[in-house]
Amino acid sequence: MSMLNLSLPPLASNLVKSRTTTTATTTAQQCYIHPVVLFSILDHYLRRNDNQERVIGTLLGVRSDDGRVVEIRSCFAVPHFETSDQVEVDMEHHRSMFSLHKKASAREQIIGWYATGSQLSKYAALIQDFYSREAAPFGAVHLVMDTELTGGQLGIKCLQGAAIGAGAHPENCLFLPLAHELQYPDAELTALQAAADSAEGEGIATLISDMEQLEKTIEELRCMLARVSAYVDDVCEGKAEPNTVIGKYLMDMLAVVPKVDTKQFATLFQSHLQDILMVAYLTNLTRAQLNIADRLQRIA
Amino acid sequence: MADTGKQAKPMTALLNEEFSLSAFDSSAVPKKLLSVLDVEKKMSLESVKVDPLAILKIAKHARESYPSEVNGQLLGLEIDGVLEVTNAFAVPTQPGSEDDMTNYQIEMIQCLREVNIDSSVVGWYQSTRLGDFMQKPLLDVQASYQASPNSSSVVLIHDTSKSEQAGNLSLRAFRLSQTYLDLTKDGKLTTKDMLEKSLTYANILEELPIEVETSSLAKALLSELQWPANADQELLESLQRPSSFNTKLRARRLADRSAISDDTETSSDALDNSLSGLLPSQPTAYLSRPMCTNALDLSQGLNGSSSLARQLEGINDLIDEHIHDANQWMYWKRGEAKELNRRQQYVQRKATSNAARLARGEPAEPELTEKELDKMFRVLPEPSRLDALINTANLELLTKGITQSRGPALTKMFMAQGLHESSA
Repeated sequence: MSMLNLSLPPLASNLVKSRTTTTATTTAQQCYIHPVVLFSILDHYLRRNDNQERVIGTLLGVRSDDGRVVEIRSCFAVPHFETSDQVEVDMEHHRSMFSLHKKASAREQIIGWYATGSQLSKYAALIQDFYSREAAPFGAVHLVMDTELTGGQLGIKCLQGAAIGAGAHPENCLFLPLAHELQYPDAELTALQAAADSAEGEGIATLISDMEQLEKTIEELRCMLARVSAYVDDVCEGKAEPNTVIGKYLMDMLAVVPKVDTKQFATLFQSHLQDILMVAYLTNLTRAQLNIADRLQRIA
Repeated sequence: MADTGKQAKPMTALLNEEFSLSAFDSSAVPKKLLSVLDVEKKMSLESVKVDPLAILKIAKHARESYPSEVNGQLLGLEIDGVLEVTNAFAVPTQPGSEDDMTNYQIEMIQCLREVNIDSSVVGWYQSTRLGDFMQKPLLDVQASYQASPNSSSVVLIHDTSKSEQAGNLSLRAFRLSQTYLDLTKDGKLTTKDMLEKSLTYANILEELPIEVETSSLAKALLSELQWPANADQELLESLQRPSSFNTKLRARRLADRSAISDDTETSSDALDNSLSGLLPSQPTAYLSRPMCTNALDLSQGLNGSSSLARQLEGINDLIDEHIHDANQWMYWKRGEAKELNRRQQYVQRKATSNAARLARGEPAEPELTEKELDKMFRVLPEPSRLDALINTANLELLTKGITQSRGPALTKMFMAQGLHESSA
């Protein structure tokens, strides 16, 4: 019997080690995107130079301490120039924009970069390498938007780079998909809603008042209720296939409707009504006073 | 016959045309070109057109630094009396020297110009918390923006808390009126001026209508956000997650969706708490599509929530100030009247004594000129009415806002009642 002793060559073992350590600390697992980023990218694409196929830019945002959760909050455009055999990215512009950005919102760091187009640029690995160094010690996130609308979709994708091959060559990079989710803070939701209103018609809409908004929302709520009750009726009559998950969800929804005693409700309702009417009365009174004062001054 | 008639007409028409060309007729210029010819800037702004990108940037900036008030610059173009705002950028809030600020803005605009973004400043934006934005500093800044004769700049006011509470974007565009600008050039404002130029609290600012314009690509994005391709799949998946999702979602919503969560949740109203459960979670959050159902949120708006209470407190302070101003002015007015009275009496005394002297055959004392009289009876200058005017305008603004917000609140109350009756 002979013994065979295997050991990795020193260089390779180093490589393996370093790679495992880097992947353990730097890869993100979840990515949140704010809608303003997507709008910025589209705006940048619309304002591109002649004969320019794709645009790129820097993504900014915040990370959790361990770098696993990434939140892309804003971005800015970076001019670049691409030919069949070389690519130039305006690093100076990137740096000066970042330092300017830092003054207004100090918390945001470099997260990665975005590009438009249906396919990855062939220089994507090179640019990824640059941004990984900018975002070190974390990995850079790459966001792709298909502005050519292949298949009628904008196909928003989040990718992150992983080293591939034995040596660390900047031009070798494997892009792995990264789970992403859009985030809609309430304040931005209202803005998006106004934009959605304008998108329905000619592309232009005036802002509506709170009362009109409430009316619209109630109308939408009624539509939803009608849809749900139609579905429930269908299930009861055996027309639609029952789904336990949806059923459970509906049960949960119904369970949270609070049971308020009718008497108690009446008193609460009355007192609130009085509050509201009083506030309205007082503010109207104040306005009338101001108006009278103004008119008296003019007579005098 | 018909032919000759036809031919005759063009001839005269041609003659007329030549005539009108020689004497420049502005009505013949296409409407699009009028603004180009308008060198003296006589045309006034009619409306403001804002790109969703600019609104989102403003909303984000305002939300992130809520509750402190922030501002930034608007970039865009003015065409035919319509101010198009296509982009915006934040201005740092931390105190820096004036030079730093200017440098920052110049550098930022230069950088943005490199990527073909409109580089002309068309105004600025300011976030507000309680809606009482009508204040001296804001008016002064806007006055400096409008100082150059051909600058058509606006100020956009964004109210984060109101947007979130009402579930409706609260964005308003304002310009200072020309009368206000003319009267406040030297920083003093008298009642006489105000009356002559008919400047009241209602016409300090002119509000411009805002339109939102979306590009075609942005429309594609919006429709994709509203109806994601795999929406049904996502919905089912999210429903399959552990069933405590209601509380989870609510917790998450409070933690990161709303800038004003701590603001509204502190109100410990019984009805609020019992009713806020009526619309416990936003099903749309599962679909991750942009639809704000806050308008229906009963915990916000219906109540005497803390933000309304704070607004009322603000109104109280403003009324106190208003009374103080009024008293001060009355005091001055009384002083003036007294002084004028004394002056009149003096003149009368002088006249009677002169008459007596003449009767006795003595020479009359020389009449005092107006100037000398002015010297003897000094009337204090009127205190500037500017602060009082702005205060009144602010008061009017706040009360109007509250009055308007009562309508939706009442509607929601009765909606809750209807629901209660149907469920009971």
